Amino acid sequence: MTLRAPSAGAGAGRNWALLALLALASLAMAAPLLWTLLLSLKSNGDLLRSTRSAFSPPYTLQNYSDILGHSAVFGWLLNSTIVSLAVTLGVLALSSLAGYGFARLRFPGRAVLFIVLLFGLAIPEQSVIIARHQMFSALNLHNTYRGLILPGLAAPFGVFLMTQYFRATPRELEEAATLDGASRFKIFWRILLPLSLPAQATLGIFTFLSTWNDYWWPLISATDSDMYTLTVGVASSQMNFAQTNGLGYLMAQAVFASAPILIVYVIFQRYIVAGVSRAAT
Amino acid sequence: MRRCGTTAGGGVGNLALRGVSKRFGSTVVLDDVSLEIGADEFLVVLGPSGCGKSTLLRAIAGLETIDAGEIEIDGARVDHLPPGKRGVAMVFQGYALYPHMTVRGNIAFGLKNIGTERAEIDRRIAAVARMLEIEHLLQRLPAELSGGQRQRVAIGRAIVKDPKVFMFDEPLSNLDAALRSRTRQEIANLHRRIRKAMIFVTHDQTEAMTLADRIVVMNQQRIEQVGTPLQVYREPATIFVATFIGSPAMNILPVTRAAGSGTLQWVRLADGTQIETTASEASLPGQGALRLGLRPESVRLCGLGDGQTKALVDFVEFLGDKTHVLLSLAGGDRLVALDGASCPVHAGESVGVLFDRAATHLFDAEGRNRGLTG
Repeated sequence: MTLRAPSAGAGAGRNWALLALLALASLAMAAPLLWTLLLSLKSNGDLLRSTRSAFSPPYTLQNYSDILGHSAVFGWLLNSTIVSLAVTLGVLALSSLAGYGFARLRFPGRAVLFIVLLFGLAIPEQSVIIARHQMFSALNLHNTYRGLILPGLAAPFGVFLMTQYFRATPRELEEAATLDGASRFKIFWRILLPLSLPAQATLGIFTFLSTWNDYWWPLISATDSDMYTLTVGVASSQMNFAQTNGLGYLMAQAVFASAPILIVYVIFQRYIVAGVSRAAT
Repeated sequence: MRRCGTTAGGGVGNLALRGVSKRFGSTVVLDDVSLEIGADEFLVVLGPSGCGKSTLLRAIAGLETIDAGEIEIDGARVDHLPPGKRGVAMVFQGYALYPHMTVRGNIAFGLKNIGTERAEIDRRIAAVARMLEIEHLLQRLPAELSGGQRQRVAIGRAIVKDPKVFMFDEPLSNLDAALRSRTRQEIANLHRRIRKAMIFVTHDQTEAMTLADRIVVMNQQRIEQVGTPLQVYREPATIFVATFIGSPAMNILPVTRAAGSGTLQWVRLADGTQIETTASEASLPGQGALRLGLRPESVRLCGLGDGQTKALVDFVEFLGDKTHVLLSLAGGDRLVALDGASCPVHAGESVGVLFDRAATHLFDAEGRNRGLTG
């Protein structure tokens, strides 16, 4: 005991140092968010004089009531929700089916097709954006939900993830289900799909987050302000107000736009952490 | 062509395999397997890893297609039917319980797939749960069960479908020694109660000897021998069966032909000792090497002057109820003798050795037992 006490004390000291370090890092990460929140609670007039006024009262919810009363934010919020949900559901459905096919079905060209799919992971969006723009323009898909949703459905990472997940699922389960008289689709639907929920959750959350935060494609495809997603809409407001007298209002819009994503993150953070861990191993 | 690679004896077969072969690319995994299994028989397929025993089971279940041959159940050909329509059920090595379903869900899944009415499903689950004493586990998930409980649920999932043939693919290999022994007895009891054809694949000869009505010994994708546990132990058809069954393994010693007199054949060990065998002179091939097989219990130790030959004791293993004695003969042959708990010999001693003539086996160059009749 006497020998272990100093060791335990040193361990506790190291823990405190580590905690302090992590607290500092967390503060550094959270500072911009807190700053945004603080500014959104100040009147535009106060902020015009000095942003240092953010550290002292009075605080107001006026910017938020202005958003709720006048802004097009609700329309953009709806657009972002529709597009993000549609892309997420589509990616989950397509990636699961394709992943199951690559993992379990034998068909000619499977290996080649899978390699082609992996190439898809390496091709940056920027390299195809002009071609895509021309194609969508020719098909009259710009300024439509389809135009915003369809590109997101091509998700090689999702197919890759689900393929690996299904490959790791014990084949005995499928064989047991086969002996239980289940059809191939039933095996997929009743056995494999429920078992892949952790992977589905990870893929779904990352897809939702990336679609929600996507700026570039909606900026190109949605030129009609009614079809703006939240990211494009907020950026368009920035041009009008950022350098003038609407800093508090702008920050309130940013908070408003981030709120759904923060809620998603808080609810699903267990899966996000698990997904990142899985990707790292 | 090996002696016992074809149809076994027994009554009318509930399951019959005729000339079943299977390849993976150029690799043969089942080579012309023929077998019949009685409607209430407990058949154990025994063999080393990679011998084809699990593939045989999977072929019967329909999880592997066959390249040649026929499989019949109850007289009807089934090798073209999907697994779910063959009337077979299987307990997998890893149990293969659906992790996201409760025990009830696992057992009911197969019945739901064939459209069984809910009341009938409930009735059958209740009966099976009572039989296997898992009534209190029905609402649990597999992850909440012990290995033995999972084993019972897997068996319950098989029983509830009332199949014609039950198949077990090394189902005890994941259990600890104590639980394995208990589960073995439970499976034997289960067979006595339901009296259905059961095929049990294992590489464990204890399981095979204790459970089987008949044992099918497989090696290198072929059937080496089919027989009762006593037959395969006492009358091994091949040198492989002789050495695979029994622990310690049968002693195999190279011998040369000595005198023969019609029904008797004498052979000579490397040290010159002549031993009388059960093989007849007429049953032996004209030429080729011969090997003598002797079970360790057929090698008896005695005083130096009383034996057929003498040997040096290399090593003594006391196992409590018995003793293994490793011996070297003058000609360089080594063999193991099985002695009682109070074996008096020690390493380095010279002892006399007697061989039990009635328990000798003579194998030809191809490894076939030439001393068997019939």
